[in-house]
Amino acid sequence: MKKEKKTPDLNRRDFLKLGGLASAGISLAGIAGAGLAAGKDTDSYTGWERYTHGDGQFFNRKPFEVDQAPTIKKVAESRRINAAEQLFYRLRIAMPFMRGIKPQSEMPKELVDFYKEHPNDVEDMKAAFKAGQEQRKNWEKYKDRYIIADAWSEAHSKSMRDFPKRPVGKPEESDFKNVNPDTVKFKSPKHASGLMKKIAHSFGATLVGFCKLNPDFVYQGRLRGVGTTKFDVPEHWKNCIVVASPHEWDGLYANPTYGTSYDAYARECVIAGKLEIFLRHLGYSARAHVPGNSYDLAVVPIAIEAGLGELGRNSVVITPELGSNARLAVVTTDLDLEPDKPIDIGVKEFCEKCKICADQCPSGSISFDNKPTKVIRGYKRWYTEDTRCFGVWNSVAASHARGCRICIAVCPYSRKNNWIHTIAREVDPRDPTGIFSSALLAMQKGLFEYPEKAEEYLPPPNGNNKTYHNAPDWLKTEEWCDVDIDW
Amino acid sequence: MFPHSTILGPLFWIIMGALFVFMFYGAKIWFEDLSIKMNKRKWILVFVFFLILYGSIGGGFTLIGENEHRAGYYFMGIGGVVSIILGVGIWRYLLSSRTK
Repeated sequence: MKKEKKTPDLNRRDFLKLGGLASAGISLAGIAGAGLAAGKDTDSYTGWERYTHGDGQFFNRKPFEVDQAPTIKKVAESRRINAAEQLFYRLRIAMPFMRGIKPQSEMPKELVDFYKEHPNDVEDMKAAFKAGQEQRKNWEKYKDRYIIADAWSEAHSKSMRDFPKRPVGKPEESDFKNVNPDTVKFKSPKHASGLMKKIAHSFGATLVGFCKLNPDFVYQGRLRGVGTTKFDVPEHWKNCIVVASPHEWDGLYANPTYGTSYDAYARECVIAGKLEIFLRHLGYSARAHVPGNSYDLAVVPIAIEAGLGELGRNSVVITPELGSNARLAVVTTDLDLEPDKPIDIGVKEFCEKCKICADQCPSGSISFDNKPTKVIRGYKRWYTEDTRCFGVWNSVAASHARGCRICIAVCPYSRKNNWIHTIAREVDPRDPTGIFSSALLAMQKGLFEYPEKAEEYLPPPNGNNKTYHNAPDWLKTEEWCDVDIDW
Repeated sequence: MFPHSTILGPLFWIIMGALFVFMFYGAKIWFEDLSIKMNKRKWILVFVFFLILYGSIGGGFTLIGENEHRAGYYFMGIGGVVSIILGVGIWRYLLSSRTK
């Protein structure tokens, strides 16, 4: 008898049902893989995308434009910034007295006046100098571990020394050096702004903004190219072009010891220096104000007026795209530009309830106040004790004072450009209730990992050289060099 | 999934799209065979459930990918619990509306 051929039990409906189940399982695995890839993807490193114009990274500021920046409000009579109020200038003039090379009686009046107004700063400065001496003494101990990070930092640091050329002489002369006498006329300030934005992006700027120069933010008592002098704000410093770019994200998250300030600083120098040459070639005056300390003005409030972002509790500009990870340079020019407007994306309210940067600051220089309380030169805003801050970045395990940047790394806004953070940065500013930001903050504090004590970022005996995240392989000496690991 | 690949990236999402279509078509047949009469509201509920489940898995792995392992596991854990509760609730609701 012929054996009957058995037909398979699986009919079309069963096939679709089982296939659907299998698809659910496979697609779930696919989503997990896609998520993992999105998190690891270096194209989500805002400002470091493959294309300098990086269309995918921009936030639409238009709906959030305001006339008055909410985080830097003028509440009293304002004045310009005395040079001694700027940390780096103060360091330079205070150094011989702090080290005992010169007697205190020879202290210049501007420094005496500053210390009268800030008596605690003297002790903070002395402690900072002492910490710096310790730091250089300890470097031998940490050299093997951090030598690649140190070399990486030095490469950036040294490359920014000679460009852009530092001004020599009065701004009325130096800012017009090599200016084309045949000035190219633009169709309108709007056209000029449009072009300058494109050019700045092509030079490597992640963010670009324009504003009129507010004289309140220009230093008084010291002018590059001239020296110590009282001066009026030059008339040709009419408009500001503000450019911002981030630190390399892997290095940033491995602060304070593996990261550096100089990578973004070097980029800013190149971008602003090129803009200076470009403007002069078209027949306009230009002066680049660049990091580390080649400024005649305070760049942070100018960036806020140019709509790049808002002032954070950590005293840096928080931008929608880069969070706190935005380093700045300014070019002052007489080219007429259409100014951008300040924005309000809710940073003020967020910083009031967040306080992560204050919790994590190893120097304790960031305020824990619920709201800004200090009025500084007429403006109510957050304030950081800069000398105390210097005391820490002059002590972390590095070859010399190289910065700390923990407040930038831990800021919840300093997140990359992947889908999960993009949802947060697009929804939060549009939520008038603040519920979304409270939920985000609860997640940030509950789910994310931080060292228990901020002192852990310091070298022993106070800390254990902790970094915020693990260092990337490419900054670890032991991955590439023949060293004995004793850490 | 393949961010630096010109071909594999789009191909991956085409395949994922096909899998989603297959998955929801399969679900439709399951519901028919279980005598569950679906309408627009019920489909929205099912869709929300899948969105939360996939969002939790995708979000968790995104955080793991950017070295926030703890946040990633917690995110998936919380999202997973929400998905299970929601899934059971929706399933019971769908079963209760079965046609006799």
